[in-house]
Amino acid sequence: MNNKIPNFVKTNQFGLLILVIVFICIFSFSTDGFTSRFNIYALSRVVALDIMIGLAMMVVILTGGLNLSLGALGVSAAMFGGWCMESMGIPISITIILVLAFGSFLGWINGFVTVRTGVHSFIVTLATMSIYFGFMTLLTEAEAFRKLPEAFTDFGSLKLFNKYISPLLIISVLTCFVLYYIFKYTDIGRKLIAAGANPDAAELSGISVDRMFIYCHMLSGFLAALAGIMLTARIGAAIPSMAGHLGFDWLLPAFLAPVLGGTLLSGGKVTVFGTMLGAILVTLINNGLYLIDVGEFWVRFFLGIILLGAVLLDRAREYFTVKNSIVS
Amino acid sequence: MSDYILELNNITKNFPGVKALDNANFRLKKKSIHALLGENGAGKSTLIKIITGVYNQNEGKLFLNNQEKSFSSPNEAMNAGISVVHQERNLIRRFSVGENLMLTNLPKNNLGLIDYNTVAKESKKWLDIMELDIDPNTIVSDLTVAKMQLCEIAKALSLESKILLLDEPTSSLSPQDTKNLFALLKRLVAEQDVSIVFVSHKLEEVFEICDEVTVLRDGKNACESEQITNLNRQKLVKLMIGRDEQIIKSKKNIDFTDESLLDLQSINTDLGHKNVNLNLKKGEILGLYGLVGAGRTELIKCVLGLDKINSGQILLNNKEIKIKSPKDALEKYKIGYISEDRKKEGLILMHDVLSNAGITVWSNLKKILSFLNDSIVYNKVDPYVKQLEVKTPSYQQIVSNLSGGNQQKISVAKWLASGTDILFIDEPTVGIDIKTKSYLHELIIELSLKGTSIILITSDMPEMISLADRIITMKDFKIVGETINNHNYEEMSSSIMGNIHE
Repeated sequence: MNNKIPNFVKTNQFGLLILVIVFICIFSFSTDGFTSRFNIYALSRVVALDIMIGLAMMVVILTGGLNLSLGALGVSAAMFGGWCMESMGIPISITIILVLAFGSFLGWINGFVTVRTGVHSFIVTLATMSIYFGFMTLLTEAEAFRKLPEAFTDFGSLKLFNKYISPLLIISVLTCFVLYYIFKYTDIGRKLIAAGANPDAAELSGISVDRMFIYCHMLSGFLAALAGIMLTARIGAAIPSMAGHLGFDWLLPAFLAPVLGGTLLSGGKVTVFGTMLGAILVTLINNGLYLIDVGEFWVRFFLGIILLGAVLLDRAREYFTVKNSIVS
Repeated sequence: MSDYILELNNITKNFPGVKALDNANFRLKKKSIHALLGENGAGKSTLIKIITGVYNQNEGKLFLNNQEKSFSSPNEAMNAGISVVHQERNLIRRFSVGENLMLTNLPKNNLGLIDYNTVAKESKKWLDIMELDIDPNTIVSDLTVAKMQLCEIAKALSLESKILLLDEPTSSLSPQDTKNLFALLKRLVAEQDVSIVFVSHKLEEVFEICDEVTVLRDGKNACESEQITNLNRQKLVKLMIGRDEQIIKSKKNIDFTDESLLDLQSINTDLGHKNVNLNLKKGEILGLYGLVGAGRTELIKCVLGLDKINSGQILLNNKEIKIKSPKDALEKYKIGYISEDRKKEGLILMHDVLSNAGITVWSNLKKILSFLNDSIVYNKVDPYVKQLEVKTPSYQQIVSNLSGGNQQKISVAKWLASGTDILFIDEPTVGIDIKTKSYLHELIIELSLKGTSIILITSDMPEMISLADRIITMKDFKIVGETINNHNYEEMSSSIMGNIHE
């Protein structure tokens, strides 16, 4: 083996970083306005959300499961927030706390049912996706909350760093650091990963695997709710269809980011910053293709191809890069 | 013309950083049963994988019926008449015996559909050759483990195999099933023109059934096609490990009238244990002997709270306790369990040495806000990893890259680090080379001398008799006998087998 190559170069993240740079170069030269202040700001607002929902999916993939209810959950939490602020007049800070608690609660339902029934979370969250979304539509009568406090919507359109960057991106990046810290430097984070990697061995080593899996689902709900709040702030209203029907619009980026980032679908490995880079890559491609003006359907086509490619990569990774560290 | 059906000459196989085989030779005579022996890591499995086309050798030649061959896939080897019967079953459990036997070439009728009559008839032919009384329509999962093993051999025969590789074929068979299997193998060799390569850790079996022996050590031949009649157990072990075997015996004076540390009283479980009474003294090694399926591991798992105990009591220091989970057992009562299945239950193979060795102590080591970093864990587990002489390039090494012996040491180390008072140790030396085995034996005795109380489950009779202070025999989820061990192999083994076959 060649030891002269630094370890970082061999990681998945390095490959992603190169890809990100390549795509930035391609789009800067081939399109007008890719590097414009307006476009970069728009990108930062979109990528902030993609990172957050990627992380929300990542923490469930860690258990070897999936969270299909992600979009429905996030939107339900956001609508709950809209109702709190608009109909109940609850202050913004308290609303945010309530929304995050609500999201964690919906995540807890996912986790609890998964653990108790032993059914794969794919099925459980497919059901709760429909339940959450249906219930939300019923309660809100599919009406949006458009009269949110100005301080809240202003935050969503705030421009920082010479008007290049949205504060939403800063929230997402901070969240990455916090998650990295949890997985790398806490007892609980290690237990989450151990439970995901080999539930039997973890259980016999004195870890309560069921509880860990529920925590993962709660964390997923928490992050999805946070994404919901961010989206509400960004568009200035809480709208039932803001993540598409049943929250479908979130699913593709939610899978793409962690899988591109190097999180193993079989569980037991997280890549926080890989997920961040994965989300950036997805947003870039999305944005660049729109600017090239290939049409919406082609964008979907390409994202689908990329997801398939990423899944193939995941298979390959099980053989080759298990050697890398388990938190990155 | 030689009378060898298979010849491997001067085989060398390199892996990154390791020479798995170094100029190794292997010659299989027609119609013989040839033992291939060696410690873990000696190169046995690499050699088998070269024979079966999984790997290609870097140097050396392979001759099949005096023709040079090179297989690029297991399929090619199979078509050339070489079949492996693995430890793990390769049958599809939900399919019938017939379907499994005919799977690679299912007979079809005129409409292109599977012709089940022919499937049954064809597969019956092979079952008859083996004198197996199994209906081809039986679903595989309804068979006993022993019958599955035999079906697997029937499947290999149905592929017209002339060379059968048997990898630890008796590891899950009872003595009676083993006897039947051996009778069958001998008949196959005599009547069906089959040659057999036999891989086993059980040397008694090698002497019983094999004609010739090839031993590998560190990728080289320690002996090549030696007649079994020229060898004895001692010589064979010396060939395998390069020195004489050390027999370790626990010498202790346990007062069995002392109060018990752990007491199981008339335990009945969901899994079918009936009225199990068992007590463990402080510093004792209590052996639980029984055949596979006697319910020993299951009993321990019930005690750990993984399966339900329906009635009965568990006392610790004369106080009744309720263990809800292994977490409970570890954190509240300082009870640990070293699993028999280190790959599935003992270790997290995809994680590194440090997190595997430290998993049991994270909870104790965490600081404020659950903070924990590698150096805190390292400081705690390093003494134990060093004590056990785990050979690993670093603590960041992924455990699946270590040898079986070192993996087992790590699954022991994590429990040493956790400082438990009671340890359940389940088959600690299965598939472990002789050197590590005697090392682990010493360690278990040392632990008990220091006051750890141990319940030892093992199906390895010599191991049981050298380690245990007292031996309890289980059969069909019941306790059928209890003997204080006097470390005399003949006496103890006949008394234990007597208990089982009463």
